[in-house]
Amino acid sequence: MRSFLVAISTLMLAALPWSAGADKPGPRGLVVIVNPGSGVAKLERGDAVNIFMGRYRKLPSGIVAFPIDIGDRSPEREQFYRQLVGKELAEVDSYWARLVFSGQTSPPLQVPDARTAVELVAGNRAAIAYVDRSVVDDRVKIVLELEQQR
Amino acid sequence: MNAPESVKALLPKSIVGRTTLAIIALAMLLGALFAGLAAWMLHGNEKQRLTQRLDALLSTVEKTVSVACFVKDDALAREIVAGLMSNEVVAGARIAAGGATLYEQVRPGLPASDREATLSITRPIHSPFDASERVGEIVLYASRTTLRELAWNYLRYVVFVLGLEVALMALAVSWVVYNLITRPIKGISDELHRLELRTGMRLHVPRRNEKDELGRLVSDVNALIAKLTTLIDAERRLRLEREASERRLALIFEKVDAGIFEVERNGLLHSWNPAFVRTLGPPPKPPELQVMIPAHGQLLRTLIDESLSSGTPREADLELHTPDGHTQWAELSLTPVGSTMLQGVINDITERKRAEFAAQQLASRDTLTGLLNRRGIDAGLAALFERRRHEQTLAIALMLIDLDYFKQVNDTHGHAAGDIVLKRVAEILEGAVRRSDLVARPGGDEFTVALVGVDSQAKIEQIAQDIIDEVRQPIDIGGGVQVRIGASIGIAMVGPADETAAPVLQRADEAMYAAKQAGRCCVRFASQPQTGP
Repeated sequence: MRSFLVAISTLMLAALPWSAGADKPGPRGLVVIVNPGSGVAKLERGDAVNIFMGRYRKLPSGIVAFPIDIGDRSPEREQFYRQLVGKELAEVDSYWARLVFSGQTSPPLQVPDARTAVELVAGNRAAIAYVDRSVVDDRVKIVLELEQQR
Repeated sequence: MNAPESVKALLPKSIVGRTTLAIIALAMLLGALFAGLAAWMLHGNEKQRLTQRLDALLSTVEKTVSVACFVKDDALAREIVAGLMSNEVVAGARIAAGGATLYEQVRPGLPASDREATLSITRPIHSPFDASERVGEIVLYASRTTLRELAWNYLRYVVFVLGLEVALMALAVSWVVYNLITRPIKGISDELHRLELRTGMRLHVPRRNEKDELGRLVSDVNALIAKLTTLIDAERRLRLEREASERRLALIFEKVDAGIFEVERNGLLHSWNPAFVRTLGPPPKPPELQVMIPAHGQLLRTLIDESLSSGTPREADLELHTPDGHTQWAELSLTPVGSTMLQGVINDITERKRAEFAAQQLASRDTLTGLLNRRGIDAGLAALFERRRHEQTLAIALMLIDLDYFKQVNDTHGHAAGDIVLKRVAEILEGAVRRSDLVARPGGDEFTVALVGVDSQAKIEQIAQDIIDEVRQPIDIGGGVQVRIGASIGIAMVGPADETAAPVLQRADEAMYAAKQAGRCCVRFASQPQTGP
């Protein structure tokens, strides 16, 4: 029952950006950004998975990674995990719930919106986040572009 | 008492008991067989079942293991293993990621060295986000003890179920056998116990058994009873008839006038009735018939032998002399029954013999004088000549006596006077000869005398002369009247050539005629025939 509700809400949320995008432009293409001083020029997709799913604590350059999520049920977050690991948010939350239980790993920090994420990345060498290409400015550096999938 | 007998004594006697026991024994045997088979099969099967169970366990935790391996979270791994260990089947578990063990736990009592001998199942773990990336593995152990325990538990369950089935089955069979077989049979048996063999008695077919084997059994028994009662009735009737007839026969045997007896070939009496005792007196000991009739022993022997050899009855009249001097006549008849036994009838015929004798007397005697008549003298002479055939030396002399002047007496004084004269002459003649000699009046005034055993002619002549002298004496004919008559006598001696009386009588007649010619009251001897001396 619960999984059914989750699936329904997920579907509704998933539909939201497209319907919303008709009025005001939604995330057209998500990109992973880091601080230019992080020493990371390019990020492999697998590296992104490892960092955001809590497997590796460090960026390829050796700096301890500080991943950032946008919101809890934001279109960006939903789209990001779908495109990155092919999972719905409910599944991702369930995944984190297991890890949080052990207390050794914590999920990415959640920030209210993309702008805050950009601000954080711009001001922190270890921070790494995903935002829509439209909100990227030159204070941050794009290291991975996610294709529009499905 | 040896063991098998004591065991036998313990075995139930009823069909219900035996059937139930047999069912229980059979079911237990089969149950043991199946339990053994199950144990054998379970031994192989349980491993598979256990593997399946471990597999299923792994499947439930696989996702979490995947997460733990992905992030190499040993705390999560420990939680998973602890969770798995809460299942008693699991004897140990190990989660490894990236070639290193994240967490491992083994139940106490399962040494590491034994781990090789236990059942283990290993499953590779893939990344939750990339199915092609292997991030680690999980190994589950199951102890053999657990395996065995599980098998045992299962076996116990099977045995329990089988036992329950056996018990219920035995109960059901007992109930069925008791209701379908024992009770009807017991009913029939009870009825048979109370049954009296009487016409019309029959067993009742138990309800619901009319058409089955029991019904048939009962109807067969009924048919048998009917047959038996018929036979018994017939037998009883026959016995009653036979008893009545035996009583009648016994009565006849006891009351009949004829003496009835059974005698063996050797003369030993087998049985006899009162009439037999009345006729012959009580039998001696041993009861030999020949001893009872000593005078006819030879005749009895002949009768018995002839009757037995010919198979036909033999009869004889026996003259018996009672101890008190009386003469008794008995008619004996013997009929063979079997090869050595004869049935005899003895009748006292003394009365009949007497009557016969009287009749014979009547026929052969002259009613006036009581002397022999013609028939009598003929028979007597025939008997004498028959006797003479055996005794050649027996001397016989025939005397013919003709009365003289009798016609005158008759004519003068009447027939009554003549009869008196004739009677007187008869007395004279009978007085003159012996009792063994024959005296007859063949007819009229003729008399014949046969002298037996006297060969002296002088003596014969003397006898004749005495007769003549006596006859010449005056005869009182009543009323004070006396008459005188005379007698002429012709005598002939029987010669060796004389086969019958006829020629001798002829010669005597001629001699008598000669005597008359000689002047009456004479005696003349006939001359002997030429062949004589």
